[in-house]
Amino acid sequence: MFQSATAEALEERMRQRRGWSRHNSLPYTLVFLIVAYLGVFILFPIAQQFLTSFSNNVVGVDKVTWVGLRNYERLFEDDDFWFAVQVTFTYMAFVVVGAVSLGLLAALLLNRKFRGRNLARSVIAVPWAFPEISAVLVFLWMCNPTFGVMNVFARLIPGIEDNLNWLSDPKLAMPLVIALSIWKAFPFTFLVILAALQAIPRETYEAAEVDGANRLQVLRHITIPEITPTLLLMAVLMSIFSFKQFTLIWLTTGGGPYGGITETLVLRIYQTAFRFFDLAYGATLGVSGFVIVLGLTLLFVYAQQRQDRARRS
Amino acid sequence: MTATSSAAYKLRRFGAGVAFYAIILGFCAAVLFPVYWMIVNSIQPLSLGMQFPPPLFPKEISFLPFTTLFENFPVARWLVNSLLLAGMTTLIVLALAVLGSFAMTFLRWRGKAAFGLLLLMTQMLPEALVVIPVYAMYRNLGLSDSLPALSLVDAAFILPICIWILKNSFDSIAEEIYEAALIDGCSPLGALIRTLLPLAAPGLVAISVVSFFYAWNEYLFAVTLVTSPDIRPVAVGLASLKVMLDTPIDRVLAAALFFSIFPVIFYLLIQRYIVAGLSAGAVKG
Repeated sequence: MFQSATAEALEERMRQRRGWSRHNSLPYTLVFLIVAYLGVFILFPIAQQFLTSFSNNVVGVDKVTWVGLRNYERLFEDDDFWFAVQVTFTYMAFVVVGAVSLGLLAALLLNRKFRGRNLARSVIAVPWAFPEISAVLVFLWMCNPTFGVMNVFARLIPGIEDNLNWLSDPKLAMPLVIALSIWKAFPFTFLVILAALQAIPRETYEAAEVDGANRLQVLRHITIPEITPTLLLMAVLMSIFSFKQFTLIWLTTGGGPYGGITETLVLRIYQTAFRFFDLAYGATLGVSGFVIVLGLTLLFVYAQQRQDRARRS
Repeated sequence: MTATSSAAYKLRRFGAGVAFYAIILGFCAAVLFPVYWMIVNSIQPLSLGMQFPPPLFPKEISFLPFTTLFENFPVARWLVNSLLLAGMTTLIVLALAVLGSFAMTFLRWRGKAAFGLLLLMTQMLPEALVVIPVYAMYRNLGLSDSLPALSLVDAAFILPICIWILKNSFDSIAEEIYEAALIDGCSPLGALIRTLLPLAAPGLVAISVVSFFYAWNEYLFAVTLVTSPDIRPVAVGLASLKVMLDTPIDRVLAAALFFSIFPVIFYLLIQRYIVAGLSAGAVKG
């Protein structure tokens, strides 16, 4: 009796607290702080880019005026822009597929019990923790046409007698940049997929064993379906990682060789503004990039909701 | 009959075990090779690296590049600059992420979903999309070439991810604990500081590491907003060695290795929390 009365009183007090906090300005003050901060450094610059894309703002121009949609007309006829879009999506596709499948493979291998498993897991996580600049420096040295160790490996392939030029070879530059990006990115997908594998209940596997399923069948009918939402989420995260990527490409190929074979949209935006000083057109390219970001965000929300639903059911 | 088949079975199992270890070993070796190559080329005499084919294992060891590290490049200055930059970034992120995750997890208010979406979008934004207007803004305000100003931008870009990671830590704290603190007479912020933060300590460590090394590694903003060599952070300093062709490669790789040790150690220590936060938290609103 006494206890329930106390509980009721507590309940009542909590209700008051909750009611009080519903009309409280505290959450709005906190969120306002953060939105204002992001506003100054992210939202305001984007709005400014949007406005600039309707002007003729080039460094050195006498008078900046509004030119309506002229920059966008130029965008649609600009072969270099469409080529950069093509490069961007090619790069993204290979990095996404490569990082997710390599991460999955590593996670499946290291999910089995064996001695030294924790050490192997840490070893594979290293590239993720490795700074991009350091990765770039050693990668450039490995790909050095004269002294690079890559040529030692290349010569193991029958038919290759001469040193290759690696990053200045138009056929090799893109695959190399993709390989470097996958090396940097796949440990993250590995760690997340491994966590998802460990979350699969043991009983699921035991049931399959009772039914006499072999290893491949278990993989196909149990493991993969269980982690599909995670794989999807990783694919979206990797597409964001690769779309944003600047440092790994800029410091290795600089977008080259010859006519921007590895020049993604992000590099093109940077070049247009900082090398050609065409701020208005750079901003227009930026707006097109922003549209892609919006699309990727929606994809992310979709993938995340699917993962949530899968986890709850 | 049974004896032989069981022996054959054992042999097959042994063979499979060896094959499995060989695969794991090969895989790990391939993944670590660039790091290994970096170490080899910074501890062997330069002449060994500058020949073709280079030896795959060091024949001779010299720690000269490391013992003279601070004389070869302004390493000490880069280090101090990066410590300042990363330290300031971490402080800003800690303050704002705590408030943001707290509001997301424990407070009731309208617009949570919209706020989550805003965080998500800023998290996905390429730095290159914003660097031009930020550069213009800083030049107009006379803020270029300043590490505190640079740390403000870095913090804005890493804040959303840190809010998700910390929210994941907060999510695992029972709401009753927060409510009990309120009943005991704490104000909401008092409850946050006295009760929630100590419980979310691993999350706080995780976001400190993430934001610290984001600023430590960040290149695009740093190279654009900082022009004076005196206040160059590590990333810009290291990248500047790339274009100086006369710099001996053993020194360059030794410097790069020196600056990579810290992030590798810290990231590996807290990977669990980062992974949980990044893969589980987002957009539940």
